[in-house]
Amino acid sequence: EDTVDDENYEYGKGDFTEHACRYCGVSNPACVVRCNVPSCRKWFCNSRGNTSGSHIVNHLVRAKHKEVCLHKDSPLGETILECYNCGCRNVFLLGFISAKTESVVVLLCREPCLSVNALKDMNWDLSQWCPLIDDRCFLQWLVKIPSEQEQLRARQISAQQINKVEELWKTNPDASLEDLEKPGVDDEPQPVALKYEDAYQYQNVFAPLIKLEADYDKMMKESQSKDNVTIRWDIGLNKKRIAYFVFPKEDNELRLVPGDELRLRYSGDAAHPAWQSVGHVIKLTAQEEVALELRASQGVPVDANHGFSVDFVWKSTSFDREQGAMKTFAVDETSVSGYIYHHLLGHEVEVQMVRNTLPRRFGAPGLPELNASQVFAVKSVLQRPISLIQGPPGTGKTVTSAAIVYHMAKQGQGQVLVCAPSNVAVDQLAEKISATGLKVVRLCAKSREAVSSPVEHLTLHYQVRHLDTSDKSELHKLQQLKDEQGELSSSDEKKYKALKRATEREISQSADVICCTCVGAGDPRLANFRFRQVLIDESTQATEPECLIPLVLGAKQVVLVGDHCQLGPVIMCKKAARAGLAQSLFERLVLLGLKPIRLQVQYRMHPSLSEFPSNSFYEGTLQNGVTVNERQSSGIDFPWPVPNRPMFFYVQMGQEEISASGTSYLNRTEAANVEKIVTTFLRSGVVPSQIGVITPYEGQRAYIVNYMSRNGALRQQLYKEIEVASVDSFQGREKDYIILSCVRSNEHQGIGFLNDPRRLNVALTRARYGIVILGNPKVLSKQPLWNSLLTHYKEHECLVEGPLNNLKQSMVQFQKPKKIYN
Amino acid sequence: EDEVHVRQKVAEVDPVEEANFDQELKAVLQESMEQRRLELRGRPALNMMIPMNLFEGSSRDHHGRGIGGESGDEALDEETGGNKEVQVKVLVKRGNKQQTKQMYIPQNCSLVQSTKQKEAAELQE
Ligand SMILES: [Zn+2]
Ligand SMILES: [Zn+2]
Ligand SMILES: [Zn+2]
Repeated sequence: EDTVDDENYEYGKGDFTEHACRYCGVSNPACVVRCNVPSCRKWFCNSRGNTSGSHIVNHLVRAKHKEVCLHKDSPLGETILECYNCGCRNVFLLGFISAKTESVVVLLCREPCLSVNALKDMNWDLSQWCPLIDDRCFLQWLVKIPSEQEQLRARQISAQQINKVEELWKTNPDASLEDLEKPGVDDEPQPVALKYEDAYQYQNVFAPLIKLEADYDKMMKESQSKDNVTIRWDIGLNKKRIAYFVFPKEDNELRLVPGDELRLRYSGDAAHPAWQSVGHVIKLTAQEEVALELRASQGVPVDANHGFSVDFVWKSTSFDREQGAMKTFAVDETSVSGYIYHHLLGHEVEVQMVRNTLPRRFGAPGLPELNASQVFAVKSVLQRPISLIQGPPGTGKTVTSAAIVYHMAKQGQGQVLVCAPSNVAVDQLAEKISATGLKVVRLCAKSREAVSSPVEHLTLHYQVRHLDTSDKSELHKLQQLKDEQGELSSSDEKKYKALKRATEREISQSADVICCTCVGAGDPRLANFRFRQVLIDESTQATEPECLIPLVLGAKQVVLVGDHCQLGPVIMCKKAARAGLAQSLFERLVLLGLKPIRLQVQYRMHPSLSEFPSNSFYEGTLQNGVTVNERQSSGIDFPWPVPNRPMFFYVQMGQEEISASGTSYLNRTEAANVEKIVTTFLRSGVVPSQIGVITPYEGQRAYIVNYMSRNGALRQQLYKEIEVASVDSFQGREKDYIILSCVRSNEHQGIGFLNDPRRLNVALTRARYGIVILGNPKVLSKQPLWNSLLTHYKEHECLVEGPLNNLKQSMVQFQKPKKIYN
Repeated sequence: EDEVHVRQKVAEVDPVEEANFDQELKAVLQESMEQRRLELRGRPALNMMIPMNLFEGSSRDHHGRGIGGESGDEALDEETGGNKEVQVKVLVKRGNKQQTKQMYIPQNCSLVQSTKQKEAAELQE
């Protein structure tokens, strides 16, 4: 099975060593000793950290243990410390004496050997007995004190924590410090912080939040069973069975994506035994039809079509990889450079520059010429170990990122890792980077290999298939056989896998750049790769632990690209979101004082459309890289109230309603007017692919789709081709014309989703040529940001009402905005 | 290569914690001594295991490296704050065999100081 590799893989093995100090994690063999009490056998180091005694002495005193053994790689080798004379192993009684005339020393116990008369006459000087434990530490020349760097990178354990964990070990010798911090089932989780003492504390905060989110995700997905599903059968090019069926999207938050795993069940009938199989979603059509590629093709009841059931198969992979990355971050000193380590934890580090010769030109072959702010970004980033690039909508984030990656790859510091949280963004970047002439490998999750991709020729699985297609190639032969028969004999399958793995390694290693999702960076196929230079695009849409996955593969230079003024990561579990899991690493670094480099020229929106977002979200710094002329809708006859200003706010007074599911909203009047606007656009010569309808509510989205296909004045097919989506799913994309339906229209309740300024920013910055907003100004104006948006539209005579073919300035009164309390 | 300068907060050890710890450490020591005396009561006198003739003929390698089969091979640790180090042999037992292992200890350690002083005194005679 394809996924077996992954399932047996242990994430976050890092370089965890058995002999790491159980208090602080220091694992330098010269600095640690093992408690030799048989029931204990734990390792401790000889640093004091924040306590008065060293860790080993602390342990021995607290646990009343008295014997120790040195590490096999320490200068003395694996040695139980004991009196040379009598064999006493109590370290509290031991000390060194030296010979009178030679540089020879030996361990001797205080009682009785030091006071035995016979020794006194011999070669040994008993007057200078030097105790093994001095000043609450082991003799430093015998057990070294970890260096300052080692100590800084270790867990900063307090005396109180030591007491607690020692207490815990009395009943549970295998307990870890993390067990001390575990919140109870009903406890509110510990919120995220700005700074962390060490990577262990970081892990203690984030691990429970990821667990919460994972549990919620599992609960939700596993409750998504559907019965009475009708199947249409097909066979793929790879001879695998494909089941097509409709999996209607309801008002819940669950969205199927390619790569998801579903189980298809048939309970059996007179002609068929009961059957079930698992498969991957390889395609989703606009009509909400799902294509599921089944793993096993045997026994499929292909002549049955009705009465199937579908369950969601929940996978913990992404959460496991996040947890693993945090563990690696803590225990493996080589996971990230010291500078990155301390910076990520919010420690004050002296600014460091990267010593690299800068290129003479900052653009890259195959990419458009860079503008001044893009050049500045590339130049700055190349000189710093960690940097943030803020890319407001349409400012050429991808091109800038590709140029940075190009120059990094040319510095010869090894392969560059390029990630983003979403597959779409990774594909876009991979394409741009490949255009510069660099060798790019796009690593996809195995579950997505059958999913079509615009950069298929860059994917690892494609390159493996096409590396050597000569008849001599054993791999090629086996692949053909597998394609023809669907499966291989077990010995052939073994051979095939080994060959495939070797080829994968060969191709990946010869690439200049590896592109994958953040979670994909935790793929076992990259486990032995090291990346000093890492760029993460859309990093403001990833959670911190997600961002950490690509970083812990050896990062020394990190570039985070994103825009914290647009929407952040989606967190389903309210508890986890409240505790701060939705705050991205990018945002926290901004709060810590790292200044993002902002790209300042936007090439998307008509200058009239960029004015308000620039002033409200980017301190007015957004410049226009497109002119009014370049955004003129020539030949399009649309009733814009002010010519040359392709925008208006269309006043709506229709009531909002709660949708059938009870969890969302819809607004019939707005939906009807959306249809009228769409029809007007279509009649005036705009094609469906140019139009996007966005709305914050799933209830309204579904209602508009339905309404347009039933009541659209033109051909039904035209309306089907129009994308109707949530604001959130439109982030990162653009359309020529955007129609925004606000939905909320209730005097007493709030405006819900619309309250988030970042969502408004995203909604307003999707359109290139024109935007129409439908909403109730009376309700929206209570919120300060909406109030200023409405005022902006009113001042420009773009606040209108009435029928589309006779729009009039609206005189509707705004409400006083409520003060914002932050 | 990977040097990083972290502006550290000075880790202050809580004096109460320090006092408590000292007390506990003393208690463990005391208890160890007493336990030892109890154990030894009524035991026959000790055999002297410490060799007397170990050093004959070895003084010429005194400051050389690599004496004996299993000498330590660790590099001189330079990070002892400008304090010079001297090489010593640590006598240990492996089963019944005696072995010496080389180590470096700070020159200002009382152990070596007495030896040095005596060496100096002997030289003067
Ligand atoms: Zn112990
Ligand atoms: Zn320690
Ligand atoms: Zn003894």
